[in-house]
Amino acid sequence: MDDAFMPFHETLARMLAFGGEIVDEVHGVRSYIYECEIESPVELTVTRNDAGGLEIGSTPPLYYVDTSLRPSYHHVSFAARPADEADSE
Amino acid sequence: MRPTVSENTAWQLEDFVDSLVVELDKTRETLAVKAINKPLSYTVKDLALDLNIFPSYDGDQVRFVTAQPGQQGASKVTIQLSSITDQQVRATSKGPSPRGDVKIDDIKVDKATRKKLRKLGVNSVDDLQQIERKNVDLAKVADGDIDYRTLANQIQKSRRDQNPPRVAAVSLARDEQARPYLLIEGENLAVDKSFPPVAVVNQTLAEVMSSSGKEVRVQLTRDHGFSDANEVILTFDPFAVIKMNVKA
Repeated sequence: MDDAFMPFHETLARMLAFGGEIVDEVHGVRSYIYECEIESPVELTVTRNDAGGLEIGSTPPLYYVDTSLRPSYHHVSFAARPADEADSE
Repeated sequence: MRPTVSENTAWQLEDFVDSLVVELDKTRETLAVKAINKPLSYTVKDLALDLNIFPSYDGDQVRFVTAQPGQQGASKVTIQLSSITDQQVRATSKGPSPRGDVKIDDIKVDKATRKKLRKLGVNSVDDLQQIERKNVDLAKVADGDIDYRTLANQIQKSRRDQNPPRVAAVSLARDEQARPYLLIEGENLAVDKSFPPVAVVNQTLAEVMSSSGKEVRVQLTRDHGFSDANEVILTFDPFAVIKMNVKA
């Protein structure tokens, strides 16, 4: 896989690397994010490993400037919920 | 030219979805580890992937290549993975293959037959048997394009290959009338009830007195010229033939 890409699961895990808990100690209010929907353009590469299996590599858009050679943006969207709530469903 | 491992490669939808599911499982595993020290962690619930792809059809299979930078005019495929309950999985999934099941890919049938069967959702001999049990006439569904005689023979051959005859012992004995016979003992010998075994001793046909999966008795006469070294050929069924050198 090209160095510019990382495994798809790593992209997802990094997108979910947020705290989720919002605490206002002054007013004594504690909130948490119970659902988060993420939509993002991604670049994808599909390669075959030595064992013949497919590997999906992805990366969020790398550049924020117009270029003559435009990247092909695929689109990923998913919902994230707290693990304990998702397990009980 | 064969693509290198890092080259953007063509894929079949089934392979891609399998890899995507593996990636999702890895995400869940990573997040589960994270949840050990961080009580509030998140997991992926529903995932959709819109892909810009270029499809191609080689007359047999449809393959896709994901669009790369600068490539215009791609088609779009949307893959949606939803969470389902274990009950739904049971209701919509085929159970694990039974032991000894033979895949259609492992049977030597012509490409057209294999392709037809795959289109009908038949991937193994067990799938074929399930259809037979429901009394479905596959010949009508497949417009009579499937060569059933070859298919049935190949299925029998594959099954027989998995359970080949094994000879454990050969001995010389005499029946009640003191006539000599060869007693061949072993496993999976004459298992096909519709096919009486055929025996040839020293290039002369011999009568098979009795046969079963465990033993076969072959009558010997003077015509067989049984001596110190003998050649015995036993055909248990069309797919199992054994040639032995028997020393008296």
